[in-house]
Amino acid sequence: MVLDYITQGFVNVMDPFIIGLMVVGIFLGILMGSIPGMTATMTIAVLLSFTFTMEPAQGMMLLLGIYGGAVYAGSIPAILIRTPGTPSAAATIFDGYPLSQKGEAGRAVRISTIASFVGGVISVLALMFFSPVIADAALRFQSPEFFALAVFGLTIIASVSGDSLTKGMVSGLLGMLVATIGIDPITGYHRFTFDIPELLTGVEFIAVMIGLFGIAEGLRKYAEGINEDQDEITQDVSGVLPSFSDLRAIAPVSTGSGILGALIGAIPGAGGDIAAFITYNEATRWIKNATPSFGDGNIRGVAAAESGNNASTGGALIPTLTLGIPGDSVSAILIGALLVHDVNPGPGLYQDQPELLYTIFVGFLLIYVFILLFGLLGANYWAQVINIPKQFIWPIILLLTVIGAIALRGNLFDAWVMLGSGVLGYVMRLRGYPLAPIVLGLILSPIAEVNLRRSLALSNGSPDIFLNSPIALVILLLSVATILIPAVRALGE
Amino acid sequence: MIKQQIEDVIKRTPSSISSNPLSAVFILIALAVIYTANRFPEKGLVGPELFPTLISVGIIVFAAADILSETQTEQELTDLNFRPPAVVIGLLMLYVSLMPVTGFLLGSMLLLLVLLHYSNVRSTTLLIALSVGFPILLFYLFGRIFLIRLPEGIVPISRLLPQLPLGVVV
Repeated sequence: MVLDYITQGFVNVMDPFIIGLMVVGIFLGILMGSIPGMTATMTIAVLLSFTFTMEPAQGMMLLLGIYGGAVYAGSIPAILIRTPGTPSAAATIFDGYPLSQKGEAGRAVRISTIASFVGGVISVLALMFFSPVIADAALRFQSPEFFALAVFGLTIIASVSGDSLTKGMVSGLLGMLVATIGIDPITGYHRFTFDIPELLTGVEFIAVMIGLFGIAEGLRKYAEGINEDQDEITQDVSGVLPSFSDLRAIAPVSTGSGILGALIGAIPGAGGDIAAFITYNEATRWIKNATPSFGDGNIRGVAAAESGNNASTGGALIPTLTLGIPGDSVSAILIGALLVHDVNPGPGLYQDQPELLYTIFVGFLLIYVFILLFGLLGANYWAQVINIPKQFIWPIILLLTVIGAIALRGNLFDAWVMLGSGVLGYVMRLRGYPLAPIVLGLILSPIAEVNLRRSLALSNGSPDIFLNSPIALVILLLSVATILIPAVRALGE
Repeated sequence: MIKQQIEDVIKRTPSSISSNPLSAVFILIALAVIYTANRFPEKGLVGPELFPTLISVGIIVFAAADILSETQTEQELTDLNFRPPAVVIGLLMLYVSLMPVTGFLLGSMLLLLVLLHYSNVRSTTLLIALSVGFPILLFYLFGRIFLIRLPEGIVPISRLLPQLPLGVVV
C-alpha cells in the first residue's frame, strides 16, 4: 500500500512545473542561506504568499526547496569566511574553516554537500516509514526531558572549547546570561531590559552570531593587514566528486549523524542548530585518534555537523505532518501553508490525503538529489570566492553583515547588537576565548531555563522529577558520562 | 605541599589578573547581575532571578579558575596593528548611526566607497561600480523582493529606482 502511494507520489512530482518550482526554491534557498542573517524561516515566510494560488503539492515543493537549500547553504560561508549563513551551520565552522585555510575549501564544500544529502535522505526515509512511531516518542518529551536535553547540549562546550575548558565555560555561560535578557517567560518580569523596548523580546541571537563570527573575523583580517598577500591560500579546485577515500571516511559518521539528527529534529523545539552541535559532539566522542584532530580540518567533523542539521529538516516534518505540531519555526510556517489550502496536518492526513502526503515525501527526497547535484557542480565555484582579493571581499561582507542584522526584525537596534557582539568577539578571541560556546549558550539557555523552572514548579522544588523520568535520567546520565569519562581518562594519563 | 600550592596561587593572583583582565571584567559583570537579579520584586523558589544568579555564580567560578590557572591560550598580540580594526568598527558605527539620515542606499554607497578606499582599492572605475552597484543590488533583493523595511533617510533616493514587476505579485 505504502509502495503504491510512493509510486503515485513519484509520478506526481515528475511534473515539469513541480520540478521547476523545486529548482527555483533550491536556488533561492541557497542564495538566502549563504547570506548571514537571512534564514530559511524568513525566506519561506516572505515567499509564502506566492504559493496561495498553487496546488498544495506545488506550493510545498517550492517551500521545501527553499528549506533544504537554505539549511545546506548555511555551511558555505561557514567554510569560506568563518561566518555561518544560518544558525544550523555554526558547528560546521569547527572543521570547515580550517579546511579552507589549508586550501581545501572545494573539498570541504563537497563533503558538506554529500553529508547534507545523506542526512536529508535519511530524514525523509524516516518521515516515510517511521513517522508515527518517532512522533509518538518525541511527544513524550515534557519539561524534565527538555531540561535534560538542554543540559546534554551544554556538555558539548567541553568539546568545542579548544585549549582552555575554563575559558570555554565562561564563554558558554556568558551566552546563557545574554539569553536571559528580556521578558521572563514564566512570570513576565522584565529582566535586564533597562527600559529599552527592543530588549523586551530579548537579544536577537542571530545578530549576536553574525557579530561574533562575521564582524570579529573581518576585524581580525584588517588587524593582520587587509592588502597583504602573504597568507593568500591557493584553493584546490580540481574535480567535482569527492575522492573514494573521503567518501569511505565520512560514510559511517554521515549515516549515524543523519539518524541522530532526524530524531533530534523530530522533537518539537529542537532544530537544526541543536542537532548539528549534538551530532558533531557525538562524532568527536566516538571517533578516537582522529587525524587530523577535530577542529583542525577533519572532514568527518564537517560531515557530522552537516548531516545532522540537514537530517533535522525531515525530522521536523514528522510531528508537523503526523500530529500537526511544528518541529521547528519553518515547519510552523509550512503548517500555515497547508491550512491555506484546507489541508489539516495531523493524524487524519494519513487517512484523508495519503497521495498528497507521499507526493510531498518523494518531492522532498528529489529536492535532496537536486541539492547534491547543484552542490557538487558549484563547490569549486564557491571555493574560488576565497580567491577574490581580501580588499574587495571584506568591505562587501561587512556591509552584508549589517544588512543581515537589520533584516532580522527590520530595525537598527539589531545592527548595534551585532556590532557590539563583533567587538566583544574580536577581543575575546584575542584573549583566547572560544566563541562557539557563546552560540551554544544562547541557543540552549531558554530551553534549559523554562524547563528547569517548570519542572521544579511541578514538583514543588524537588529534583526527584528528573530522576522519575526514565528519558530524562538516561540523558542526564549521558551528560555526566560525557564530562566525567574524558576527565577520568585525562587523570589516568 | 598543599600550603606551598596555596602560597603559589596567592603570589600569582595579582599578576594573573593584570594579564587576564577580561576574566576580571566578566567576574564584575556577574557580580552586578547577581546584585540586580536579587533585587527583582518577584522572587520565589523558581523566580526570574534563579537562572541569571546560577549562571553568574558559574561565570565567577570559571573566570576565577581561569585567572588562577594562567593558561597561555592568548594569541600573540605584538604582531597585530589595532588601528585598522578600530577604524573599520568606527566606520560601521558611523554608518549605522547615520542611516536614519542618509538612508540605506546612500549610506551603503558611502560606506562601501570609504571602506574600499581604506582597503587600498585605487581603481576609480571599480570603486564607483562596486559602491554604487552593490547597494542597488541589495536594495532590490532585500527591499523590493523580500519587502524588508530599509531606512529611506531624509532624502529617499531609493524611490527613484524603478519598481520590479515582481512587486505586483507580492
